[in-house]
Amino acid sequence: MPLVRKPTLPAEHRNPAPAEVLAGLVSASCDERWAAARAAGGLPEAAAALAAALLHESDAHVREAMFTSLVRIGTRDSVARVLPMLRSHDSALRTGALDALRSSPSAAHEFLPQLLSDPDVDVRILSCELARSLPTEEASRSLCALLAHEPEINVCAAAIEVLAEVGDQAALPTLARCAQRFSQVPFLEFAIRLATNRITAAGNRG
Amino acid sequence: MSAGPKTILVVDDAALVRVYYRSILEEAGFRVEEALNGLEALEALLGKPADLLVVDINMPQMDGLTFLRVLRDRADPLAAIPALVTSTESAQADVAAARAAGANFYLLKPVERGQLVEFARMLCGVAP
Amino acid sequence: MAELPAPTEDEFRRLCEYLYRRTGMVFNEAKRYYVERRVWDRMAATESSSFAIYFARLRTDMEDEIQQFVNAFTVNETYFYREDYQLKCLTSDLMLERVREKQSGDVIRIWSAACSSGEEPYSIAMWLLENWPTVDDYAIEIVASDIDTRVLDLARAGTYGKRALMRLPPELIGKYFDALPGELWRISPQLRDSVSFTAVNLVDPDQTWPHGQFDVVFCRNVLIYFDDASRRLAAENLYENLFPGGFICLGHTESMSRISPLFEVRRFADAIVYQRPEIKQS
Repeated sequence: MPLVRKPTLPAEHRNPAPAEVLAGLVSASCDERWAAARAAGGLPEAAAALAAALLHESDAHVREAMFTSLVRIGTRDSVARVLPMLRSHDSALRTGALDALRSSPSAAHEFLPQLLSDPDVDVRILSCELARSLPTEEASRSLCALLAHEPEINVCAAAIEVLAEVGDQAALPTLARCAQRFSQVPFLEFAIRLATNRITAAGNRG
Repeated sequence: MSAGPKTILVVDDAALVRVYYRSILEEAGFRVEEALNGLEALEALLGKPADLLVVDINMPQMDGLTFLRVLRDRADPLAAIPALVTSTESAQADVAAARAAGANFYLLKPVERGQLVEFARMLCGVAP
Repeated sequence: MAELPAPTEDEFRRLCEYLYRRTGMVFNEAKRYYVERRVWDRMAATESSSFAIYFARLRTDMEDEIQQFVNAFTVNETYFYREDYQLKCLTSDLMLERVREKQSGDVIRIWSAACSSGEEPYSIAMWLLENWPTVDDYAIEIVASDIDTRVLDLARAGTYGKRALMRLPPELIGKYFDALPGELWRISPQLRDSVSFTAVNLVDPDQTWPHGQFDVVFCRNVLIYFDDASRRLAAENLYENLFPGGFICLGHTESMSRISPLFEVRRFADAIVYQRPEIKQS
């Protein structure tokens, strides 16, 4: 019978000391950095070191583990340290940061108003996505507030994308006014029409 | 080159963008497939190759540039599929980064209907 | 209840987008009929007179509707040889790749990481014995785990009713099960003693790490119940439990593309599976 059941007990999980973890995050060895990144998830005090290491980390897997650990730590501090990465010129770092924030909806909640009014266009675009995880009414309100005065077409597009899912009836006038403002932009006209249809359909009680 | 309509894989996490491109491209006679991020695009291509990729940059799990690098690195015909990158960023550095990652062309969002069709036809070898 | 109209194109799309975001479950046009049927079932069950009303219910997760909807897909009643296309892939492709670097007599480790009442790990064992010509050349270790200790007790007991055996041909039932009174069958002692059952919470690396590395992991229809953060962490934990080059199989509506970028996707004749990358020789 080729099926065997091994009687040995599984190995003990070793939890490295904090100092070892911090040193491991900047090791020259990829494997060591991976192990340290994984272990850091259980150490809230490692948030600063994780964020700093992320800015220089070239290995995609290690980066992923670092972000996962920041999500696991899940403190206001760890979320605050991820926010600046939304501005990065490195698209992979931006993606990692946004994914981490998406996985931490309650922690990111606090920062959303400031993100949605950030002077950086790209930060506003990415932050619309985060509004998706707010309670529906608040999400709809926040995005409408943005949409009412937003001059950038792509930010409007990002807001409308999320409103198509979370928007309520109260969003319809804002969407209509946005369509008027950007009547020369076919995609926005299309998107607003689709979002309006979806919101209206959701509001109909058959 | 096979006869019949060309297939375009639209890779963008924004649902409204995908619906928009689909309506434009289907009207122009293309078959359209969709993927929400670079990982899903790779998985889709393994099942069904495409004649053209329209790829956004900011997407969850795997951004558009990483996807292109991974794709171009492959040792099979998928690596040669032409790619039109769409982006909200207009800086020269961003265009250069996209080219370096393997983009054939770079269009600024929101992409205009006529432009999308023109580039799609050109990159798929379809007569205008 | 009167015949309900089919969801519109846009309604179907919205539902799929929402489910994808919330559970990681992936649906495409090919699965459309299957999804529509489940929607109709749930609309009837919740007395929703329109798709819009039902979707609002789903979105607010009223009375746990998301769980109900997901359950309709995963068919909590498990059975032997479920999703057998992956078992085919195991012996047609996965094992062959794994043994490329192995010698005769080497160990092959397989983990059924959400084993419930044991149908999956016992199915793997039976399938290998029945379908892999070189099965005797290796020492195959099957570890089975679940977070729920009650189902683990059931799994260890190895007693099943008729429904669980519905996909098995009579010869297999005769070969691997002992008939008990009351239309019950018990897995033979030999097979029962070949699988080790253990409690593991996949989200806790302290619980997953000690089990070491595996050649193949089955983690089917459980990640869809997790939230984003837990799903991501579980996938990362399972990554560490794979040998470089090892494979992980998810459920038929699941895809790693929504969960984690750590794995490479491999398409085989019978299934799409995910692989921990081999170590690159630089």
